[in-house]
Amino acid sequence: MPELTGAGQDVGRSCILVSIAGKNVMLDCGMHMGYNDDRRFPDFSYITQSGRLTDFLDCVIISHFHLDHCGALPYFSEMVGYDGPIYMTHPTQAICPILLEDYRKIAVDKKGEANFFTSQMIKDCMKKVVAVHLHQTVQVDDELEIKAYYAGHVLGAAMFQIKVGSESVVYTGDYNMTPDRHLGAAWIDKCRPNLLITESTYATTIRDSKRCRERDFLKKVHETVERGGKVVAAGRLGMERMNLKVPIYFSTGLTEKANHYYKLFITWTNQKIRKTFVQRNMFEFKHIKAFDRAFADNPGPMVVFATPGMLHAGQSLQIFRKWAGNEKNMVIMPGYCVQGTVGHKILSGQRKLEMEGRQVLEVKMQVEYMSFSAHADAKGIMQLVGQAEPECVLLVHGEAKKMEFLRQKIEQEFRVNCYMPANGETVTLPTSPSIPVGISLGLLKREMAQGLLPEAKKPRLLHGTLIMKDSNFRLVSSEQALKDLGLAEHQLRFTCRVHLQDTRKEQETALRVYSHLKNTLKDHCVQHLPDGSVTVESILIQAAAHSEDPGTKVLLVSWTYQDEELGSFLTSLLKNGLPQTPS
Amino acid sequence: MQSAEDWLVESLRLYQDFHAFDLSGATRVLEWMGDKGVFVAGYELLTKNEILHLILPLRLSVKENQGLFPERDFKVCHGGISDTSVFDLKHVPDTRLLVTSGLPGCYLKVWQIAEDRDVIQATDTIAVHEKEGSLWSRMAVFSSMAPGILHGVRLSGLRIVDLESQKTSYSSGVSDGEELSSLQVLDADTFAFCGTSGRLGIVDIRQKWAPVENLGPNPESGGERWCAEVRDRGQGPGSCIASLASNGQLRLLDPRNLCHPVSSAQCPVSTPSPDPDLLRVTWAPRLDNCLAISGFDGTVQIYDVTSWDGQRSQVKPLFTHRGHIFLDETKMETAPLVTTHTWHPCKPRTLLSAASDASLHVWDWVDLQTAC
Repeated sequence: MPELTGAGQDVGRSCILVSIAGKNVMLDCGMHMGYNDDRRFPDFSYITQSGRLTDFLDCVIISHFHLDHCGALPYFSEMVGYDGPIYMTHPTQAICPILLEDYRKIAVDKKGEANFFTSQMIKDCMKKVVAVHLHQTVQVDDELEIKAYYAGHVLGAAMFQIKVGSESVVYTGDYNMTPDRHLGAAWIDKCRPNLLITESTYATTIRDSKRCRERDFLKKVHETVERGGKVVAAGRLGMERMNLKVPIYFSTGLTEKANHYYKLFITWTNQKIRKTFVQRNMFEFKHIKAFDRAFADNPGPMVVFATPGMLHAGQSLQIFRKWAGNEKNMVIMPGYCVQGTVGHKILSGQRKLEMEGRQVLEVKMQVEYMSFSAHADAKGIMQLVGQAEPECVLLVHGEAKKMEFLRQKIEQEFRVNCYMPANGETVTLPTSPSIPVGISLGLLKREMAQGLLPEAKKPRLLHGTLIMKDSNFRLVSSEQALKDLGLAEHQLRFTCRVHLQDTRKEQETALRVYSHLKNTLKDHCVQHLPDGSVTVESILIQAAAHSEDPGTKVLLVSWTYQDEELGSFLTSLLKNGLPQTPS
Repeated sequence: MQSAEDWLVESLRLYQDFHAFDLSGATRVLEWMGDKGVFVAGYELLTKNEILHLILPLRLSVKENQGLFPERDFKVCHGGISDTSVFDLKHVPDTRLLVTSGLPGCYLKVWQIAEDRDVIQATDTIAVHEKEGSLWSRMAVFSSMAPGILHGVRLSGLRIVDLESQKTSYSSGVSDGEELSSLQVLDADTFAFCGTSGRLGIVDIRQKWAPVENLGPNPESGGERWCAEVRDRGQGPGSCIASLASNGQLRLLDPRNLCHPVSSAQCPVSTPSPDPDLLRVTWAPRLDNCLAISGFDGTVQIYDVTSWDGQRSQVKPLFTHRGHIFLDETKMETAPLVTTHTWHPCKPRTLLSAASDASLHVWDWVDLQTAC
């Protein structure tokens, strides 16, 4: 029975604990970007009050490199303590440590935070990582297996299927169902898990098309260069034709690294993109040249695509400082900026920034914000549920009051239960595990011999004994079971006394009983035995005199457990009395 | 044939703002609630359809510094599920109620938008007394202390039903079988109707049926279907009715003289309209003498009808929105057809348009003639 805790309706950090068929798996280990103190890390005391996490958890799975999914990993493994395996895809394994180190630097070196993980801790944590390929079934132990599926969203993002025996859970992490230029759409086969855990951050939005975002990006760039300004932009623009007559540069540093990674992991993109990569060398912008810091002083408009987009280091920060004072210029910031970075500050509205050496930088340039992150919206979530065909759906990362409609839609369209737990809430889902039972050939043959062949669609009742031995189930006949177990068969007999008024001798009473039953029960075998008793099938009826009253005769009716029905019937029949015979 | 990318680059010049969305199902409904919310609803037959209450992207409501308002997405504020198709939806002003009409056409449905949850729930039905196989009731709302729903398939079945008591407070009481194509409430006592044959009429509900109308179908007409909209200025001078036909004819009429159109023009559209039920003509609420038409193809055309008079054979649209054609993701054999459009109540040149490929566009066009 899968149980879940954590990462309920809080957009900020993901950390879900699943208990499935006795195995415990942690899904993601994210950090809340909004807090500066310990609240940014999940509360791991929820997991287990006593004992070591390494003993309790069978494995940890990380879906992708965003800090709200892996940011707390070094804290969890090195400071709280976990030595078991951590599974993630190869690109995630490559990119995670870079982002974690970046973040650590800002938190500790720039903001002077204590109680934060060290560089060495990041390295030690990554040593526990086991990288997996897409669609590769990985045996965590001899009962638990996991498999990664393509999730789109960012490079290396995967959805994971966790399977123990016949029970399985699929966790989506962040994913998107609309392909973009560099990443395809998420895909999963009809694996029919007991539970699908899906993120629902954007469930209540209908997303503007990527083309329109790019158009807007381009429009801003055009407007700025038309008035003679300079643009420094984070991220990349996927359009080939930008129609700009001004110089376009990319700043060296992380862009090159990013390109390098993209080339390394080209197999991660979908087929179509692989083809176009070969044709158009998409990641090598032909009309874009490398930037040199001297160019920053050139007069006139120009566009620079710079990374890191948060403006916290390197060339991009230098460019920003040079151009910030002119209101004709523009900076375009990416999705989100980590707290403490220059990017974050100016997005919060700050226009006077304190730089090194207590210098104050006045920001007069235009600040724009472009979000390109790809998440599944309501339509995408419905598509994924349709692909996987789960028995139940669980929504995380959204707000309860705003998800009731989606829940209704899922429940109505797919006829499954849909849950939306809050942080810290546990959801228990009953599953019906399938237990195979072997039936003995002898039993089968005996049933077949009993008459008509079984009809394909009608259930047929058969009696047997279920033997459980060494995780094996067998259905055998009762006799076989007794034999196997070395038990003697016991017989159960019922005896009932029926009083009759009859002054004649017992033998005559018995004869009367015999004639009566012979006439009444035409379908049964009624016999009069030499010793005076009467049998109906295997039921025995004996007549005896009452010990105290000679006018009363006592009939002893005796039958076995199997003849219960007939026995009861006979008893009631005899209680009604015998017909008068002509004397 | 221009590629999508080329069109997008050109669109930088043509539009101030442009947003494209994909709904999970195509809509024929775009009904405002305030100036920030809009309703859409699916119209597929024989299956369940969604009714959604969408909130416009925040950045469209902000004039200054749009950049710092990254919210470019529609938010689904409320949603409901209808067992039948929805062809028309009206919000009852100052309430949380909606009325929908569709097929099968034997009843209208009343819905309530929940207050603290994001659901729209069906609460009631209003029986339609005419039972016509493939025709559905047109509707308009008389909003007052006791709101009433004006509805009907033909002139003969026109009635106003009080929403709360479900009693019929008015009925046309005529046997005229003219099929209706639009109904519009003008004030507390009057409404206008347009029949599919082009008949127009203005009715005062305080009197027995005696509408001011044009007489009979135009002798030139040969089976076209018509629709119309009255410019929302009550019935004072300057009020104007625009009437559009499936062959592209556009007529402007003065309500005081419905028999003689003020002007008549032939719009350059591909005719005949593939689905005349989708024809729509709307007056711009914040621009003088501007109207928009759609329903012929994948475009929405905007015309400036200032100084239009008499017969005009050649008119040019002030602007044509072609987004639905160029951004068609489905790439089906038939190009998408614009199913409906509406003007933003406050922003003068902003429109919303929806098409048969489930696309929904929000666009703010540039008036190239006046742009400096």
